[in-house]
Amino acid sequence: MLIIDQLRRGDKRLRAVAAAISLWLFVLVVGLWYIQVVSADKYRASLVNQTFRNVRIPANRGLILDRNGLSIADNKPSYNLELYLEELRPLFDAEFTRARAGRPMSRAERDDLRWQVRYSVVSNTVHRLGEFLQEPLVIPEQDFRRHYNQWPYRPITISENLSPDKVARFLEGSPNLPGIDLEIRSLRYYPLGLVAAHVVGYLTRDDLARDDDEGGFSYSLPTYKGAVGIEHACDAALRGSAGMKSIVVNSLCYRESETVWTRARPGQNVVLTLDLPLQKAAYDALNSVAHQVRGAVVVLDAYTGDVLTLVSNPSYDPNEFTGRIPEERWQAMSDPKLRPMFNRATQGAYPPGSTFKIVTALACLESGVLNDSTLTNAIYNPGHYQLGRRRIKDLAPAGYYDFKRGFKRSSNFYFIHYGLMAGRDRILSLGRRFHLGQRIGLPTRQESPGSFPTPEEVKWLWNDGNTANLCIGQEITVTPLQMALLTAAVANGGRVMYPRLISRIEPAEPGMEEGNAADFQPRVRSFLNIPEQHLALIREVMIADTEEPEGTAYLAFHEADRVTPRLKGFRVGGKTGTAQIKEGNRVVDHITWFVSFGPGDSPRYVVVVMVESGASGGLTCAPVACKIYQAIQKRLVPVSQPAPALAQSE
Amino acid sequence: MIGTAVNQREQRVDWAVVIGLVGLMALGAVFIASASLAKESANRIAWYRLEHVKQLIWYALGIAMAVAAWLTDYRRLARWSLVIYWFSIVLLVAVLLVGTSHGWGARRWIDFGPFQFQPSEFAKLAFLIMMANYLSRPETELQKPGVFAAAMGMTLLPFVLIIKEPDLGSALVLLPTGIAMMFAAGVPTRFLLRLAGGAGLVIAMILVDVFFAPPQWRIPLESYQRKRLMVYFGVNSVPKTASAEERQRVLKEFRDAAHSVQQALISVGSGGMIGKGWRKGTQNALGYLPRAVAHNDFIFSVIAEESGFVGSVTVITLYSLVLFSGLRIAGQARDRLGRLLAVGVVSLLFCHVGINIGMNIRLTPVTGIPLPLLSYGGTSVLCTLIAIGLLQSVFRHRRA
Repeated sequence: MLIIDQLRRGDKRLRAVAAAISLWLFVLVVGLWYIQVVSADKYRASLVNQTFRNVRIPANRGLILDRNGLSIADNKPSYNLELYLEELRPLFDAEFTRARAGRPMSRAERDDLRWQVRYSVVSNTVHRLGEFLQEPLVIPEQDFRRHYNQWPYRPITISENLSPDKVARFLEGSPNLPGIDLEIRSLRYYPLGLVAAHVVGYLTRDDLARDDDEGGFSYSLPTYKGAVGIEHACDAALRGSAGMKSIVVNSLCYRESETVWTRARPGQNVVLTLDLPLQKAAYDALNSVAHQVRGAVVVLDAYTGDVLTLVSNPSYDPNEFTGRIPEERWQAMSDPKLRPMFNRATQGAYPPGSTFKIVTALACLESGVLNDSTLTNAIYNPGHYQLGRRRIKDLAPAGYYDFKRGFKRSSNFYFIHYGLMAGRDRILSLGRRFHLGQRIGLPTRQESPGSFPTPEEVKWLWNDGNTANLCIGQEITVTPLQMALLTAAVANGGRVMYPRLISRIEPAEPGMEEGNAADFQPRVRSFLNIPEQHLALIREVMIADTEEPEGTAYLAFHEADRVTPRLKGFRVGGKTGTAQIKEGNRVVDHITWFVSFGPGDSPRYVVVVMVESGASGGLTCAPVACKIYQAIQKRLVPVSQPAPALAQSE
Repeated sequence: MIGTAVNQREQRVDWAVVIGLVGLMALGAVFIASASLAKESANRIAWYRLEHVKQLIWYALGIAMAVAAWLTDYRRLARWSLVIYWFSIVLLVAVLLVGTSHGWGARRWIDFGPFQFQPSEFAKLAFLIMMANYLSRPETELQKPGVFAAAMGMTLLPFVLIIKEPDLGSALVLLPTGIAMMFAAGVPTRFLLRLAGGAGLVIAMILVDVFFAPPQWRIPLESYQRKRLMVYFGVNSVPKTASAEERQRVLKEFRDAAHSVQQALISVGSGGMIGKGWRKGTQNALGYLPRAVAHNDFIFSVIAEESGFVGSVTVITLYSLVLFSGLRIAGQARDRLGRLLAVGVVSLLFCHVGINIGMNIRLTPVTGIPLPLLSYGGTSVLCTLIAIGLLQSVFRHRRA
């Protein structure tokens, strides 16, 4: 270099100065190389990190439809007023300058004044908006501060779920207020409210939602997730995939600009096997028993296991969960006796009472203690069963009973007598073949397996006393859904079905060819391997229960004249049950049952009604079932005709 | 005076220096425009009040004064050195009495209505001329400790006054400049070693005092300066007796102080090899790089972010051109005075460049030292250009 060459002629000390300067400049260049070239990616990453905020945009939730395409869970638009803080910034600054008026201030005082000014600008804006909408609006200082500290780049929601007239007023008047904007969000809506609450479940706010593959959102627009029921079971399909946008924020975290990277894709629709008109009829029928009756109704398609109706009462309104729930509503919903949140049809385990005599009878037939000769052989019932020193009462009057009379009068004596002969293990193992005491594997988070032991479990525990109880449906518990599946197996000739609640999952719009649209076929859980003539016999005596004057359900299925059947051309086979709930030796409550199938000759429907604290199965539950059959008859529900091919599982 | 030129055919201007200067001024105007874009686009201001336009006006003024300095024989100027020096001392005292603070706490400016004047910048120049003149006496005299002591005194007087403002950066720049000039003048190395040792000791004591001494014993530094030093040395002196709340507060202050350094690093680093393009830098536009300093003390960060490593190296190359040309001019000077003047100008410029760029990449502590010609600021531009004018004057009157 020319310059350096000439320097060389200069003296030593000048060269030393030149060397010192060169050295430091070299250090600077090396430092810059290290920062700008070697570690550039690291600094770019921290730049992105401090400059961008990723926001999750939840997708429109898919619908939940019944088998006829009627909607059970829908979305409706909700109008919110949002306040964008960055648009108020010039006001903050101007107001601050005005308020300060050139006074000298310490840093703490300035900060303090800034807060005051910000809050006063925001609350004035909100107040003026309130005046415009003729609705008092306030934003608590606490809320504003928290919001401002955490997410200044995010709009504050001032008013949620505006009524249509307010929306119209806002849009027509378009008040000259800075930073206020109207946003439309989609809000979950359940048109049926209480009727199908337990099946669909409800949503809870889930602001921490994130997809597995893309974490790291700074915040998420209000998101909901299914808590229980179908909303929970099909949450992934219903939810769709969230979109993503990023907000560029400045050093004060105000929003500068926004880019949408991926649009949200709406969730898929879930089609249930439920039949809404029938569900409503069943809900009304059950509620006709008493105000806030505690009970459940299950209606199944006996051949496919399709759940046509699943009612639990008392119920709750799932719409309440999308907003804030007032304290007293919470209190009501967690009432320890009514338990509205509890799905009695699948979660409630109750002693089946006399309805279990179906199993006892089948066990006796299978063991041969009831055979062609003993079936018709009448034995004397003294009105109670004496077991050692214990006397088990029989509600059926004393007299001679053969099998048919014993069944339709629901004689405890008769079934304990033969049940003990057939033996504990045979009854228990047959019960297990009906999958009593086992979970079905419902995806709804509302399931109880009931309690039904295997023979091995009670080998050393149960004596004849326990077995006698078992014969008449005490000592064990089942859910109404399990009873319905049991009845269906009897009605359909020995196939224990899986209940089918979800019929298919389909794209939100027919055109959209994507996602894992799926059809769910009926599935057989197991075969009973019981001779058809045994099942036919049971069906015959069940029909007798409603058709013969002595039957426990006769009154319920006939008009007040005790002659005319309420159902025309529709025979129903049923079994009543009244189980005792004991505390110690005292009977404190009754669980009343009616399990049934119809039409009698070619059973298609299974109706199970359970009412807590009812009078008796025949008086309380059978009339409910009768009303449901009337509704079925009226609708002639077009359940999958012809029945789809059965796919056996396991 | 042109007529009195030594040789009409001789080159009168060192063009390498001029090329370097023009390059730097062009970069300065362009990137000040970028750095103040966000601030200025927010509120409409007349074009003649835009910062880069004002800077261009300062450049023009500075060039005029540089030409005047070039035309002046530096030897004539040196005769006035005592006057200039004491005048600057008077100004430094005046600024302590009537100075304005720009809301920063430090009194550095004297308000002249339409513009403000920063005496410390002028004092650097006056100090330079004074020292060059004083040290230009025969080399044998420099062996005397008395002369050395006097030179030390000349350095320490403005040093102390500037530190009083307080403007630690400007004050500290005087020390290496003075030492470099004494070194170039031929002051015995043993004196200089002692001085360097002493200076090191003083700086160490200042630091110890700043960080660890009880408040009443401390040098009256502004709290932000203390924090800047603490950030650089990674010291955060939380008293052992402090409550958890107090500790939180101190640590938060520490982080806030570290913020601008961190943001400068992110700006420089994210520029990468070729930068993001003019006016495309986000650090400054979004206010991460504090807007108050982006166009002056941290202008290098803006340049580095928008033009990358290529731009940074260009800046350093332009400065090198000026600095090494300056040293060559020192070597060609016709007398000791010219040589010392040239060395002084080069050292002063170099201290600014070295410290300012260094603080943008966390090699040196953050002190309010401008980057000559690139940083926005009238006094700094004027003084730099006058200094360059002196350098050219030395060149013009070099030995044949």
